[in-house]
Amino acid sequence: MDSNFLYTLLAGSAIAAAGGMIGSFALLRRMALVGDALSHIALPGIALGLLFHFNPFFGAFTFLAFGTLIIWTVEHKTKLPVETLVGVAFTLSLAVGALLVPETDMLEALFGDITKISSLDVGVAFLISAMIIALLLVFYKKFSLTMISSDLSLSVGFNPHMLELLFLTIFALGVATGIKFTGALLMGSVVIIPAATARNVAGSMKSYLWLSAIFGVLDAVLGILLAKIYGFPPGPVFVIVAGFFFLISIFLRRK
Amino acid sequence: MAFLEIKNLKVSYGKAAVLEGVSFSLEKGETLAVIGPNGSGKTTLFKAILGAVPYEGEIIKEKNLKIGFVPQKLDLERDLPVTVEEFLALRHHGEESEKWSGKHSTKETLKMVGLDPSFLAKRIGELSSGELQRILIAWAVAGHPDLLLFDEPTASVDVAGQETVYELLYKLQDEHALTLILISHDLTVVYKYAPKVLCLNRTQVCLGVPSQVLTPQELEKLYGGERKFYRHNHAH
Repeated sequence: MDSNFLYTLLAGSAIAAAGGMIGSFALLRRMALVGDALSHIALPGIALGLLFHFNPFFGAFTFLAFGTLIIWTVEHKTKLPVETLVGVAFTLSLAVGALLVPETDMLEALFGDITKISSLDVGVAFLISAMIIALLLVFYKKFSLTMISSDLSLSVGFNPHMLELLFLTIFALGVATGIKFTGALLMGSVVIIPAATARNVAGSMKSYLWLSAIFGVLDAVLGILLAKIYGFPPGPVFVIVAGFFFLISIFLRRK
Repeated sequence: MAFLEIKNLKVSYGKAAVLEGVSFSLEKGETLAVIGPNGSGKTTLFKAILGAVPYEGEIIKEKNLKIGFVPQKLDLERDLPVTVEEFLALRHHGEESEKWSGKHSTKETLKMVGLDPSFLAKRIGELSSGELQRILIAWAVAGHPDLLLFDEPTASVDVAGQETVYELLYKLQDEHALTLILISHDLTVVYKYAPKVLCLNRTQVCLGVPSQVLTPQELEKLYGGERKFYRHNHAH
């Protein structure tokens, strides 16, 4: 096995594990679509990275952090419906990104390509993914409660607004790290599909959390292997594998 | 010093005041019912007491006052994979206090609200509205509160279930010197369980003993044309 392929497997698994766990919290509060749309906001950031030759991760994270901050502010300080704003911001980012991303890099920016990953990138992906998982576990109770009911969270002295901001920041960090893997268009699926699959079969919050990460890793490993065998980019294959498991999980759904 | 004293409370969202001129005080172990039409500021009053919304005026609480809050409902999806046991564990349990002897296990907490321990393994999404309400009470009670804020569901809990919930609250109050503020939509409940009532319609319309202050004129003023509340007046 060549080292590049091993890197791809390791980085993909780490990203998918963190993404799955983020998703398990996001899906506690019907955040699936907001989360999906949010990941597209990264595109102009990636474009700037490509144009000015800095790591697109930083561009992506800056735009995502900015995007989440806007969404969070709108949700708490104004009466504008969040979904509308997310819809506007998402298409706007895609449009700006479409103009900025050099044509030769367009496919990679939209759909990702993890096969060209360096050992440094693997290390960074691992580190950030581990940090995300650790943060989610440390704040497990606070995040869960806030997602289930911000009123209850408040009544026990937590600060639901700040917890939401922290969660969105973690979300942005996960998406920015994963962009290399699946690209700006498909990153939402890393967060949503493994968690949605786990939710169908889990009987408790704990198993839901871990299964989300495990399904993420399973999808990533199988997706990358299949992509290697058939010579496809791994991102889209990951999504198709994840979608396949999701379909199966529907039939195993707990009543 | 009063246990909880509210002086000239005003809460505004933007420029519009949603609650104004509210003043009352409560002694330890008292029960206060809060009534008023939809949008009259009842839930906002709770939020102000919880410190969730900025307000003008004063809310003076006894030192180290612990507040439990029972929301009207949880906006849950039925397939949420969170068990009752996990849900109860999502909070830090209250420290021992003189009113609440000993720490309570989740099992004992369930027993306190009249539910079987087998509920621990159930998912919160699959509970009936009456069961969920008891779980929410158990959740609040697990923190060993001094003051319990109870937001009554507008519908969804049948009358028989509702009555036992009030008996349950009464029992908890008796055993633990709990102070209760309950938002109610049902005047018969107010007459039966609350020695003191606060009527809200963005401003404080009345405050006092239900049989004295809830006159037909006051209710007319409070609810306008909603005559169904009128009839309850003789239920006392």
